[in-house]
Amino acid sequence: MKLQIKRLISQIILFFSANLGYPGYPGLKTGFCYPFFYCQACPAATSACPLRSLEQSVDKGSFTWRLFLFPLLIIGFLGVLTGRAVCAWACPIGLLQRGTGRIARKVKKTPFARKLGTHKAEKYFRYTKYILLIGLVFVTSYLIGFIFTDICPVGFLTGTIPTLILNPGKFVPNFFFPIALVIFVLFIVLIFLIERGWCRYFCPIGALLGPFNKISFYHIAVDVDECVHCNVCSYECPMGIDVPHMHRDPECILCGKCVTACPNELITFERKGR
Amino acid sequence: MKKFLALQVCTLLLVSGALGGMFGFTPVYDEVREGIVLVLCLSCLKLEPKTNADFTFKTADNLSHATFVLENLSHGPVFLHYSGDACAGCDVMYPVIKDLFSIEFGKQDMFFSIVDFENTSVPYIYVNIHHTIDDLRDAQVIYDKDYVRGIPMFTVVTLGYDNGNVKPKYTTLYGTLTTYGCETDAQRLVFLQQLLRQSIEMYEQNKAGYPHH
Repeated sequence: MKLQIKRLISQIILFFSANLGYPGYPGLKTGFCYPFFYCQACPAATSACPLRSLEQSVDKGSFTWRLFLFPLLIIGFLGVLTGRAVCAWACPIGLLQRGTGRIARKVKKTPFARKLGTHKAEKYFRYTKYILLIGLVFVTSYLIGFIFTDICPVGFLTGTIPTLILNPGKFVPNFFFPIALVIFVLFIVLIFLIERGWCRYFCPIGALLGPFNKISFYHIAVDVDECVHCNVCSYECPMGIDVPHMHRDPECILCGKCVTACPNELITFERKGR
Repeated sequence: MKKFLALQVCTLLLVSGALGGMFGFTPVYDEVREGIVLVLCLSCLKLEPKTNADFTFKTADNLSHATFVLENLSHGPVFLHYSGDACAGCDVMYPVIKDLFSIEFGKQDMFFSIVDFENTSVPYIYVNIHHTIDDLRDAQVIYDKDYVRGIPMFTVVTLGYDNGNVKPKYTTLYGTLTTYGCETDAQRLVFLQQLLRQSIEMYEQNKAGYPHH
């Protein structure tokens, strides 16, 4: 079976696994945190968003070490084993972006997008997700109580919209709704314009998982000595990485598109070692 | 190469050991389940349920009233306030309630007081679901008449007359009271004051027949 088909099956299975919590169907509500981005406000959610647990752990100057460590250890466990592969093989938002990726790839061919994508500031813009993680998830929760999950576009997509659809006329918007709606619209525009735009620039869970690429057992390795620098791999990479020059790049989501694309089969999944 | 592999193995053992230890020796699984997964933070949802503020005898799933509520009903109508950590809606309502009863307490405290509201005793029970005991947390389900299981949530339990018997009658409100047209703290305060006056009136009419009185 082709690698990308396997990945699609994995994403679909994990999407359904993440949604076994709808009352009666079968109503499985666990005490785990998802290792990816998904909201516990989704009517069918089985687990908690790791960001919610992190925010709660530092709410307004308090510190609950259990709620702080628990999501970090779940993410860390998978991170040490597979790095950021969760983003490509498990995350439902990754599945969504896989769907919008076709349009984003067409946009990528336009001269403006090409210019923007190769701009030297682009690589610095990727640090936004780390700033979001530290600034909006930890610092503001700790200092002023404002929390990321109140305006989260993923929460809007997986929690607010399904609730409105399943309970027509039974809810009214609260004061966060308009702000969250604007951010949600921007999120949708982003993922249609830039392939994996959310994962590249804004996903705080990606920021948590990324550093584990440096030490993970599974990673992508390139035989640099044999590489002819045709750049097919870089063109195929949904994260826009310069694949021949990457070595355990925190941006790599181990989707394997470069592995499949390399005409000389010089890119492989490695299980251990540097 | 071997050093790197050793680093990987050590990290994996450390992380998996710590995770296993947390599952085995701390209540974190239950804390996440009871405090995050099963309880909906209405500000996270960015919505508030459209419910009515009418008093009813029927508890959710016909569950029995909480013992601590029945006991406190002998003093006056009981005001139950459910709140939680990292909940913006709870933060909006917290000062309104403090103004309503002229009381002071910490957001993460367990707080109970028989307060004076317009010369009537009102047992006020504050429950932060992330810092409380099972009896108080479990009572949320009993009074969740619209099956929202969300915070913030306010329940006023008073007395009513039903087929020859005096019984507890209650109403539950959710969120920041947007559903009832309250956009400001002043409007929220007035709305809650009116609700309390209504509950006191019902209480005064029926208290003589209440067995615990």
